[in-house]
Amino acid sequence: MRIALDVMGGDYAPQEIIAGAVDFVEREKLKLILVGREEVIKEELAKYNYKGDLLEIVNASEVIGMDESPVAALRKKKDASIVIATKLVREGKADAVVSCGSTGAQMAAAVFILGRMADIERPPIITPVPNQNDGYTFLIDVGANVDCRPRQLLQFALLGKVYASAVMNIDNPRIALLNNGEEETKGSHLYVEAYNLLKEAGEINFIGNIEGRYIFDGKADVIVCDGFTGNIVLKTIEGVSLFIARNVARELGKLPSFFSKMDYTKIGGAPLLGINGVSIVCHGSSKREAVYNGLCVARDCVEKDIVRKQAAMLAQMKEN
Amino acid sequence: MEEFFVQARRFLAEQLGIEEDLIQMETTFEEINADSIDIVEMIMALEDIYDVEFPEEDLENYPTMGSLVSALYEYLMQVKNA
Repeated sequence: MRIALDVMGGDYAPQEIIAGAVDFVEREKLKLILVGREEVIKEELAKYNYKGDLLEIVNASEVIGMDESPVAALRKKKDASIVIATKLVREGKADAVVSCGSTGAQMAAAVFILGRMADIERPPIITPVPNQNDGYTFLIDVGANVDCRPRQLLQFALLGKVYASAVMNIDNPRIALLNNGEEETKGSHLYVEAYNLLKEAGEINFIGNIEGRYIFDGKADVIVCDGFTGNIVLKTIEGVSLFIARNVARELGKLPSFFSKMDYTKIGGAPLLGINGVSIVCHGSSKREAVYNGLCVARDCVEKDIVRKQAAMLAQMKEN
Repeated sequence: MEEFFVQARRFLAEQLGIEEDLIQMETTFEEINADSIDIVEMIMALEDIYDVEFPEEDLENYPTMGSLVSALYEYLMQVKNA
């Protein structure tokens, strides 16, 4: 297995990205392709005493910044690190791509370079949040698509079902729509229309709307929302968790182990679904440990064969 | 130009799942909820059909279907006549 890592993307690139990469090859003994400015990577790698042959460098002279229009930048900067890293996956030279850079650019690269699965218009990001039943509930989309159409929320629900059942082995996953009330008329036009589509879709076990306060109850296996809402929800969860953790730690003098489940640095990254390749999106503020864990998510996604399983189950649902 | 526009419109309408008639020269991309990925996919489809690579332009300068398609067509004619 080989994973391509966009070394130039992220708030702490390239230092922290390379630090996480070195940790990964030393602990996991898997190959990494570091994609970015070769001289910068070499200079940074010189700080470590890594003597193995698991790190390869592929030069990419450009970087897509967080402040750039992702799609326009993708077309203009053909030698950008995320473009080159994603192309390595398309060409079969890498099994997955991992980036802490612009999510929009990574999503656009996935769409234009890897291509979408049939009937999937936009790839969403899926991520687990711990629930009260000692399991996980999956939130989809947590940030790839700010503006969505109702049918795209239906596609996210289908992909959420596929991921929860085929990859995470959850039998007939319960799908809910995140909303500001349980009644079917609640929410914006997008959510009212999406509710009707989800209700009519025979392929999914739709259990209705769910409010934000019940995300952790374990009543749903997959919670669907647009990427704008999902990203705010996820970052609010992270912020509240950190706030509680700091105060608990102050009072108890230590932190119960449970809090590690809520720590994004431990989760590392999350896959884009519905595309013909593994692309793992990491937090822009990822440091060494988060980068290492993001790479582990990529390894797991490759080992679990998520692309083939998604494609097979989507095709099967279409036949039925 | 008309055929060029029709091809662009057909692709975009199919992409968005809407009737072709809803897309006219003066239609803004915002009106039909076409985002930058939809627009770039349309440009790429035209690149495939006409075997040309359009220059990278700031899409914000072309708010309507007509303004974008006209600019693309103008470039195509320049390349063909060169």
